[in-house]
Amino acid sequence: MIYLTRMLGKPVVDAAGDEIGIISDIAIATGEVFPRVTALAFKGPDKTPLMLSWRKYVAEFDNERIVLNAARPDLRFSYLQPDEVLLHRDLLNKQIVDTQGMKVVRVNDLKLSESRNQLRLLGAEVGARGLLRGISPALERAVERVAGLFGRTVPEDIIAWNYMDLLERDLSSVKLSVTHKRLHELHPADMADILEKLTPAQRAKVFEHLDDDQVAETISEMEDDIQADVVEDFSDQRASDILEIMDPDDAADIIGDLPYDKAEALLRLMGVKEARQVRKLLGYKEKTAGGIMTPEVTTVTEEATVQEVIEHLRGAAAENENIYYIYVVGPKRVLEGVISLRDLIVSAPDTRIADIVERELFTAGVDDDQEQVADMMSKYDLLALPVVDEAGRLLGMVTVDDALDVLDEEAAEDLALATGSAPAEVSALRGWLGRGPQWIIAWAVYGVAVAGLLRLFWDRPALFLVAAAFLPLAVRLSEEVASHALGRLIERGSDEAVGVFLRRFMVDVAAGAALGVISGLVALAVLQAMRQPIAVSSALSLSVGLTVLALAIVGAILPSVLTIGDTGRWRASSPLVTALMGAGGAMVFMSLTALLQNAFGK
Amino acid sequence: MDMTKRNKLRVRLGLFFAVVGPGIITAMVDNDAGGVTTYSIAGASFGYSLLWALVPITVALIVVQEMASRLGVFTGKGLADLIREKWGIRVTFYLMIALLVVNFANTLAEFAGWAASLELFGINRYVSVPIGAFIVWIMVARGNYKVVEKLFLIASTIYITYILSGWMAGPDWGQAVKEILVPPIAGQPTQYWITMVGVIGTTIAPWMQFYQQSSIVEKGIKPKEYKLAAIDTVIGCVLAVVVATFITLACAATLHPAGINIQFAEQAAKALEPLAGKYASVLFAIGLANASLFAASILPLSTAYTISEGMGWEGGVSKTRKQAPGFHAIYTGMIVVAAAIILIPGVPLIPVIFGSQVMNGVLMPITAYFALQLVNDRRLIGDAVNSKRYNVLAWGCVAFGGLGSAIMVTSMVFPALLGG
Repeated sequence: MIYLTRMLGKPVVDAAGDEIGIISDIAIATGEVFPRVTALAFKGPDKTPLMLSWRKYVAEFDNERIVLNAARPDLRFSYLQPDEVLLHRDLLNKQIVDTQGMKVVRVNDLKLSESRNQLRLLGAEVGARGLLRGISPALERAVERVAGLFGRTVPEDIIAWNYMDLLERDLSSVKLSVTHKRLHELHPADMADILEKLTPAQRAKVFEHLDDDQVAETISEMEDDIQADVVEDFSDQRASDILEIMDPDDAADIIGDLPYDKAEALLRLMGVKEARQVRKLLGYKEKTAGGIMTPEVTTVTEEATVQEVIEHLRGAAAENENIYYIYVVGPKRVLEGVISLRDLIVSAPDTRIADIVERELFTAGVDDDQEQVADMMSKYDLLALPVVDEAGRLLGMVTVDDALDVLDEEAAEDLALATGSAPAEVSALRGWLGRGPQWIIAWAVYGVAVAGLLRLFWDRPALFLVAAAFLPLAVRLSEEVASHALGRLIERGSDEAVGVFLRRFMVDVAAGAALGVISGLVALAVLQAMRQPIAVSSALSLSVGLTVLALAIVGAILPSVLTIGDTGRWRASSPLVTALMGAGGAMVFMSLTALLQNAFGK
Repeated sequence: MDMTKRNKLRVRLGLFFAVVGPGIITAMVDNDAGGVTTYSIAGASFGYSLLWALVPITVALIVVQEMASRLGVFTGKGLADLIREKWGIRVTFYLMIALLVVNFANTLAEFAGWAASLELFGINRYVSVPIGAFIVWIMVARGNYKVVEKLFLIASTIYITYILSGWMAGPDWGQAVKEILVPPIAGQPTQYWITMVGVIGTTIAPWMQFYQQSSIVEKGIKPKEYKLAAIDTVIGCVLAVVVATFITLACAATLHPAGINIQFAEQAAKALEPLAGKYASVLFAIGLANASLFAASILPLSTAYTISEGMGWEGGVSKTRKQAPGFHAIYTGMIVVAAAIILIPGVPLIPVIFGSQVMNGVLMPITAYFALQLVNDRRLIGDAVNSKRYNVLAWGCVAFGGLGSAIMVTSMVFPALLGG
């Protein structure tokens, strides 16, 4: 395999065997899935940049050098063509969008391969492997060997040319093959995910290539806290155009987040009808049915016929967000019933609406909590839910996509817990040690090193060294206990019988005690091996054991403590609980160590 | 005032507040535990006679920070990002390792400052450090950047406490002004010059360039708003030095005549009490606590962002641990391990602060060199490159800082050499 980072800086040798320069770049033709290498750029003796046709002059190549088939005087130099891309200048170390994996990545290396006498670009290496090789090929080999000892490999992470989109160089002028998937061809939701990861300047560049419809859809799909920022960066004119296209409820959300002056300026620029809808929506409270509903509903009266309603749908109501449900209203827009598109289609054209209207229907009050509304829609499988005021007048409707967003927010809060660190049993020592992130160990080593350095300025016994080594363990354990407790909370909710609690409590504490004894013994063994005075090692190992036990007890009680009050609130603040536990664990451990050391020291 | 004029003023003010922040926040964090310590030592040991040095330091600070913010505005990219794209992986990797080590040492110093200042109020460090670490962690992990930035701006106002305690100490203004205008440099001992270098090293720190540039990128400040960003930088730098001046004044007016020598900022706060009154002492301690915590929250965050950016990892507080393992490992690891080391019974705090400043001093000219190369790259920022005259000034500042660091490091490693 040929890698760009290994080739760069290597010699270019002519047919006479003379070194005529060093490799500085390689150009590819952009029209294929695996693009051909078309030109070689190198630096001559006096640093002059030169370029040669790859096809005409390159005879042999590998990672170490390139041999030409002509002598220096016979070479005819060329120039970069408009459809060529330079691998070093345009790709290496640059950020690209992986349009398949849908994320923004940095190119660590470029992998090339020889096939039928041609060198072709296989793809961009964006993983750890390329990073290691870039730092030093020796480091790459060393890490590979170490990983091999554990039966693991360091995998390559390659993105093929047709799944790359460049952020830096504007390739719109370059002719690309049809297979090249560009950013703006992605689904708006995917594009939103990617754009969220870019800086404002890069985002603006991408938006330049999109039309207003695409921009409106993409912004609707972005996270709430970024939407307003993005809209603020557009000119007022474009921002108002985009907001006009968006569904009024989405537009209202964004305008609600803008500074007052900006919001007013945009509303004034928007169409009269759209601005009025948005202003109305802004009046409702956030997180209520009113806050997530759209005012665009299709309404008819009982006297109309099926034929008339269908005409209405084709005409005036065609642009509405959702036309599956048509609401029947009486005087002053009081909601009387609902008909579905299905009812309309299966009925004869001259049927009167009064004959097919369903009068039993679910409604939401304008101040109802958005969660209740979403739960109701999911329970009764509703595609939309009408929203009414106290007098029963129809104000708008909540559509299924907005309800899904609400459920998503809820789910995300629970999921963060589950993925942050999966709930585990305290007794599953082996599994726990195996799964812990390796960085904890790295930090522990670093902590010991720093503590060791400090020792140069400090003349107390080596106690602190050991303490530093055990501390990350204590923190990790506390975090685990916290996420364990929170996991229980999600599984079980708040209802747990006292008997069940006691049994579980005993089991947890017993497991904790066992784990505490084991950790204490291990600590004692380690300390004795380090030839520590017996006072020091017994103090430390005792505090290790006691910390583990204390944490286990806290972990057993925690779920019950957390259910006092609002369960949802604790779930939402799980990082807080985890961090509190981590800090608490560290505190308990250090205080115990200090206390016991004083006690044993005398 | 007629309406249109007032509206125009309002629009302009609004625009300014949309851009302001990165410069002021960065400069304020500059007066962290290490900074307060150094300025206190300068005042206590040498009275008003080192104040003049703050004038050229202000110029150098403005020049270095202005270049970083210009790069941010005109490229829309962070400094680590630009270094990676121009010099490749290897250079970036070693620079990032150096930055990690240096910023970690600084974070340690901040927690040391936090622990020491709260001990003045009788709060044990086993209580204060875990709580401090937790506050730092939660503030960033749970808040979004805009909220955090506002919090930081509010926290900046607490630096007024230093101005107040400097005032309460009742400095001899005439003498101070005289010694600024006519630097009393003749016949000073070697220690005087070493302390001066320490002041340079602590005022112009490498992480500041990365942090300010990243905040500007995050804010999305556009080239046409650049002037406001520059004003933000200048205001920040001047304010930072004003605060530094008052810290020096407080110690120069009280500790110096009494012949009290100090090694750490918290001793300055303690020593102020009998000499300048209880309130001056309390204000000084509050200032130190605020500065330490403020800096302790920015340093790990800035480091995590910078390294993720340079290495091409996913980064950001909104990403989960699984999405951005490198970012979280650095961010959480720095806070937890730094707090833990400070908690080790009997760990010495002074070498920590001392060491972090040496490291800052060594790294500063290196990062400034990279920034200078970048800011002269016409392909990168077009006509916003340095003018010839500005380049002379900028190279002068880097040389000033570099020479200072070299002297300081030499004197620390070989104290005998300079007779220290």
